[in-house]
Amino acid sequence: MQKHELRDHLRKALFIPSMKARTKEQALEELLDLFVAEKYVKNKQLVLEMLKQRELLGSTSLGKGVAVPHGRTTATADVIIAFGRSEKGVDFDASDKNPVTLFFMVIAPHNDEGNIYLPILGTLVIILKDAKKRHALNKVETFEELVALIDGE
Amino acid sequence: MGNSELEQLISLQDLDLMIEESEEVEKLGFSITGVSQLKIAREELAAKISKPLLYRYERLRKKLKRAIVPVKNDICLGCFLHQPTSIGAQGREGVDLFTCENCGRMLYWLD
Repeated sequence: MQKHELRDHLRKALFIPSMKARTKEQALEELLDLFVAEKYVKNKQLVLEMLKQRELLGSTSLGKGVAVPHGRTTATADVIIAFGRSEKGVDFDASDKNPVTLFFMVIAPHNDEGNIYLPILGTLVIILKDAKKRHALNKVETFEELVALIDGE
Repeated sequence: MGNSELEQLISLQDLDLMIEESEEVEKLGFSITGVSQLKIAREELAAKISKPLLYRYERLRKKLKRAIVPVKNDICLGCFLHQPTSIGAQGREGVDLFTCENCGRMLYWLD
């Protein structure tokens, strides 16, 4: 997957430049609320439960202050990415113990067109391994800045 | 068939896929440490579902991979057959369980 293809799955309405969450559960819920408000998922509790179960499998934090909470659910039809930035950071059970300031939440159906879910996760991991990108992402204020950064501009 | 049982089936299917896909997700760079814990959670959830329904779910999963599929704009997202409008209203309430006449999967209305 090319980086620019990620933009097709980002939504302006699913962008939070300054998250309120202070805990892991609050962070999951704050991001998920965007999907619910935009009707990308019908049943919040079902998807929240799935995201919590996913965290049981292992924290979706990648360390260095980033996390990619993700999962497939029957309760959606689209592969969508939400972005959130937390200035104070959230304890997300990261292996390096660093608070998470950058969140990309990816929610996908079980059978996504073109099987793009796993490539999307892989591409996000690659982007977030780049220290310069992380530094820049920690400063984004607008959705347009986010898209430009993801595109590699 | 109550609404909660349909939701339990959906949670079960989400868990099953999560477990199946865990190795692929790990290869991408995520830390996967809790597969056995998740398998226990899966069995606990399965125990709450009535045996005939669970059997039906397992049989459909084996045959078609996905036992429950979303319906959007009255289209079954398993086989893309248009569902009769007459069942849409009841299906949206999520009280009764409907199956796609074409592919046989259980249906979950998204809209």
